[in-house]
Amino acid sequence: MSSKLKRYEKIEFLGEGQFATVYKARDVKTEAIVAVKKIKLGSRVDAQDGINRTALREIKILQELDHKNLMGLLDVFGHMSNVSLVFDFMDTDLEVIIKDNTIILTTANIKSYIIQTLQGLEYLHMNWILHRDLKPNNLLVNSNGVLKIGDFGLAKLYGSPNRLNTHQVVTRWYRAPELLFGAKQYSVCIDMWAVGCILAELLLRLPFLPGESDLDQLTRIFQVFGNPTEENWPGLKMLSDYIEFKPFAPVPLKHIFTAAGDDLLDVISGLLVLNPLERTNCTETLQKSFFSNKPAPTYGPKLPLPQNIRKLKDLEKPSLKRKLLESAEGGTLSKRLLF
Amino acid sequence: MDDFICPRCKTSKFQNPSLKMMVNVCGHGLCESCVDLLFLKGSGACPDCRIPLRRNNFRVQLFEDPVIEKEVDIRKRVLRDFNKKEEDFSSLREYNDYLEEIETIIYNLTNDVDIVETNKKIEQYKRENRDFIIKNKSKIGREEYELEEILEIEKQQEELRKNVIKQEEVNAKKKKIQQKEALIDELMFSNANAKNILETFAQNVEEEKNREEVEVAKLPNKMTQFSTGVQFGRASQSIQYLPVKLDEGPLYSYKSVTITTDGPQPPTMDEVLNKGYTRHVRSETEQEMAGGYKANIACMRALQDALAGLFHVKKVNT
Repeated sequence: MSSKLKRYEKIEFLGEGQFATVYKARDVKTEAIVAVKKIKLGSRVDAQDGINRTALREIKILQELDHKNLMGLLDVFGHMSNVSLVFDFMDTDLEVIIKDNTIILTTANIKSYIIQTLQGLEYLHMNWILHRDLKPNNLLVNSNGVLKIGDFGLAKLYGSPNRLNTHQVVTRWYRAPELLFGAKQYSVCIDMWAVGCILAELLLRLPFLPGESDLDQLTRIFQVFGNPTEENWPGLKMLSDYIEFKPFAPVPLKHIFTAAGDDLLDVISGLLVLNPLERTNCTETLQKSFFSNKPAPTYGPKLPLPQNIRKLKDLEKPSLKRKLLESAEGGTLSKRLLF
Repeated sequence: MDDFICPRCKTSKFQNPSLKMMVNVCGHGLCESCVDLLFLKGSGACPDCRIPLRRNNFRVQLFEDPVIEKEVDIRKRVLRDFNKKEEDFSSLREYNDYLEEIETIIYNLTNDVDIVETNKKIEQYKRENRDFIIKNKSKIGREEYELEEILEIEKQQEELRKNVIKQEEVNAKKKKIQQKEALIDELMFSNANAKNILETFAQNVEEEKNREEVEVAKLPNKMTQFSTGVQFGRASQSIQYLPVKLDEGPLYSYKSVTITTDGPQPPTMDEVLNKGYTRHVRSETEQEMAGGYKANIACMRALQDALAGLFHVKKVNT
């Protein structure tokens, strides 16, 4: 264990979440830059329960998965009563990219992000895993333009006929209507709704349905899509938290996404459907014409990066040049000295 | 303007013809030399009302009555925030009320009536309409810019039109002379009937005129570039937003993913649905269906779970 402790050299502090602190570190063995997520112990009561549940989920699920669009769990090590997870280092996430107003997101860029998300998610779903917390903040992007789905703290296996799941999952703005109505048996549809919301956010550059409470979230959803009925969503009234809303008329998506083409609107209207069974899954979505149409998805390294990372990249380049120059000059100097 | 007297040094226009009166936001005048003297440090108090003032806020008094200057100042400041336009109101009545309110505020501030109350009112308005104010500000800025651009274009077109007219006049004169000469030549050397020649010439002239009328001078396009090729005007602004380099990569085509299960191939979803596999799984309730769960999902998973890992595969340690 101690050898592993020494293997990772802390470079800087990256951030702190509810359950963990994240550091940027260097893997001494392979010289790779990694992110080390140190799980917080929490209070004595929490600690009595053993290892943190989200961390356990992450370890359990990520160890079995290997896909280029999923966060790779490189290593797990413990020290005293701490557990640390080692991940690929990612430069930024989609939330930062969406919020950075110096970035212009073209259709090609958006296509690239969504394809990568869906590919990762398709693999995940094929392995019977629901992510249950998809949001721009959890879609990490590195400087090569590779998008990886991260944070598997809420991920869970699905497809069991008897196990009940909690409906209190997914960040509210990306939560599907059936979860808001209290469905305890659900499937890939909840992740698909979240992808639809993310796609909408990429287009609008603002959260699509920023509900302030669970009820407000449903109101916002129905303001756009109209109220669900027993015809377009059978069994709706059986859901445990179902309540009647005052009627709203649906707004055509074309009026909301004025800049989107018909093929793109087709993708959105496939993902954002009130009835979960009508929602398209990853495979169906990826086969839609939008993704194979022109413009082609942007090639990874050409995807836009936030300002600070661009700057860092620019800074790195001259410093490298200077190093080369220095070494070159040093070379001549030493020659002279030798002479 | 001749009986201007600086309230501090009592210098009048008569004594010093180059006397310049300055005013600040409080509306009390002061001559230029007094301003220089009193506000040596950049800021100080007004000698009349002791309000703290800044030197760079002093400007040359344009109106005889300094109170008007004060009002102009206040008006400018108030209108910066109260920048709604007629289009922003549903009825003329509302708009008029709004204008009325602005006037009251300006009057109050100029004549020191209820200053505290009025300032509170302004603050409240600012708070309530913050987004609106910002939006309108940028709109006004843009409109002004567009107006300037239109003026510029009109100027250019005017000049071009003038040139074209001048050129035409010169051409017409030349042509007339030429035609006359040609006619005389014809009359002198041709054997044809003089009357006929005159007629054909008259006809030619008429035709020429008609043709010219058709050829309306086409105005050149709007200028959007300096001679150096540097863009100006709105075109240059929009250019900023169009650095869309088309990095045409390969087009995407869907490739289906397969998972190595180390076991016999489980049935496909279609087979699960059609070949009666689902008969052995509890079918979903209506509630479960509404949540997006169906029995074939569970059936599929159970089948895959059962069949995975049945083959013995040697793990290659990397």
